[in-house]
Amino acid sequence: MNPDDVKYHKEHTWVKVAGEKATIGITDYAQDALGDIVYIDLPEIDASVEADSEIAEIESTKATSSIISPVSGKIVEVNEDLSESPEVINEDPYGKGWVAVLEINNTSELDELMDSSAYEKFTEEESK
Amino acid sequence: MRLTIIGAGPGGYVAAIKAAQSGASVTVIEDTDVGGTCLNRGCIPTKALVASSEMLAKARESDKFGIEISGGIKPNFSKIIERKNRIVSTQVKGIRGLFKSWGVVLKEGRGSLVSANEVEITLKDGSTGKFDSDRIIIATGSRPARIPGFPFDGENIITSDEALELTEIPQSLLIIGAGVIGCEFACIYRELGSEVTMVEMLPRAVATEDQEVSSLLEKEFRKKKIRLHTGVKVEKVEKKDDGVHVFLSDGKELIAEKVLVSIGRSLNSDNIGLEKAGVSRGARGEITVNEKMETNIPGIYAIGDVTGGMMLAHIASKQGIIAAQNAVGMNDVMDYSVVPAAIFTSPEIASVGLREHQAEEKGLKFRTGRFPFRALGKAHAIGEIAGFIKIISEESSDKILGVHIIGPHASDLIHEAAVALKAGLTARDIAGTIHAHPTLSEGVMESAEDVHGEAIHAAKK
Repeated sequence: MNPDDVKYHKEHTWVKVAGEKATIGITDYAQDALGDIVYIDLPEIDASVEADSEIAEIESTKATSSIISPVSGKIVEVNEDLSESPEVINEDPYGKGWVAVLEINNTSELDELMDSSAYEKFTEEESK
Repeated sequence: MRLTIIGAGPGGYVAAIKAAQSGASVTVIEDTDVGGTCLNRGCIPTKALVASSEMLAKARESDKFGIEISGGIKPNFSKIIERKNRIVSTQVKGIRGLFKSWGVVLKEGRGSLVSANEVEITLKDGSTGKFDSDRIIIATGSRPARIPGFPFDGENIITSDEALELTEIPQSLLIIGAGVIGCEFACIYRELGSEVTMVEMLPRAVATEDQEVSSLLEKEFRKKKIRLHTGVKVEKVEKKDDGVHVFLSDGKELIAEKVLVSIGRSLNSDNIGLEKAGVSRGARGEITVNEKMETNIPGIYAIGDVTGGMMLAHIASKQGIIAAQNAVGMNDVMDYSVVPAAIFTSPEIASVGLREHQAEEKGLKFRTGRFPFRALGKAHAIGEIAGFIKIISEESSDKILGVHIIGPHASDLIHEAAVALKAGLTARDIAGTIHAHPTLSEGVMESAEDVHGEAIHAAKK
């Protein structure tokens, strides 16, 4: 199930906001579509990121894809554990499989994103 | 016809055998060992080390293949070096045997020109001798370039020559120069357990390759935790008690147990009597030759690295064949239009023809096709899925302009592309050729299909 306390981007990433900090990751749908994740090329701390642009590259046994940031901001933390154990993203995409924390400056971007029920409908459409 | 060849590397020894096959009376002068840099200090010994490091990597992931290895898996470096030395000495004997069978006379010492038809040899004991020759081929090769002012000591500040003769795996290794040689050593010593850092002046690793290939190699380096600093120069190298300190142009200071300098190669064109015979050189000291491998002096030819062109063993060998044939009276020219080249990093890299940026610079209109190894069943079966095949073909004619491969067995896969390029084939020619299943070569077919958006094992774009 997709959690209700996060917002969803159409490129299958999620963002959870607490104050000025936004944690982002990929959705359960995304990890399932990718299959076994073998590597993630994590972004660098202090890099600035635009909404709808690539924040990291992820590799599974099936494909290499971009992780698209749902929001703009500056990267303040990355999940270093993933460089040793990228499979955590498959196991716990909304928890231990988080990718990065951004300092955000424009909360209005969040309004563009989907809530869990909208995202659910969106993925149902996608998989048809 | 008496032919004297100075240098028995992959240029000189091949020229010797070719000329002997054509009936010439051939003498080869070599001051170290036959096989030259390639066999003794380059291609072959590094490939022996690559094989050991790949074996180690495979053993480390044996569990994934369902193989349990009890006890620890660790490299025994002295055995690795011993194996490498054994392989080299077997190959050296092989060349000596070929010389014997074709009646090539090998003289061990330093050769230098005295005139257009005389070569002097200085033996190890200092004594000298002279050979009258109808024709001479200079094949003296190159050596690792050294940066003036760097305190090379052959122990902690070293070149590729010493990197092949270490007695222990360094705890940390800093490599200056992320070209072919630097990147191969980075992969070898990283797998063996060294902390590896690379510094490159140019903006990317293996900068002569296609940009996408460099990017993927850099990502593979990140996976292996090989640190790479690009676009920076080394200002100073200093030996201190805690290791070698390397000062970069961006203000950073790095420390490593050993520093390997792999910034290119210097030509062996000094002290070989060129001026005595009147052989002219270019601005970098290279012996200038025409497409027949002739120098400015009739009867004197030069081949291989010392001519300052592409420093590849297989170029030297081909030039050796051309020079040998011309020396015995034929009229042959070098053709550099199709030159495949391979880099034995992990994963391997191979290329032939134009890089994408070169096609752009030439103003050509072209299409590109790509296919990832991870879309091939065979790549999954062997557990090596990183990498891709990229084909560049001319838009109007569909003729293949260049092929770039990074991934498993790239160095073998490239030759289908080399033949296609040589024969002027099109992407559709490769796409329309049945490729055996399940093979990595199917990726070459699929990337050719992808040139026209028709790869079967790729999602609709």
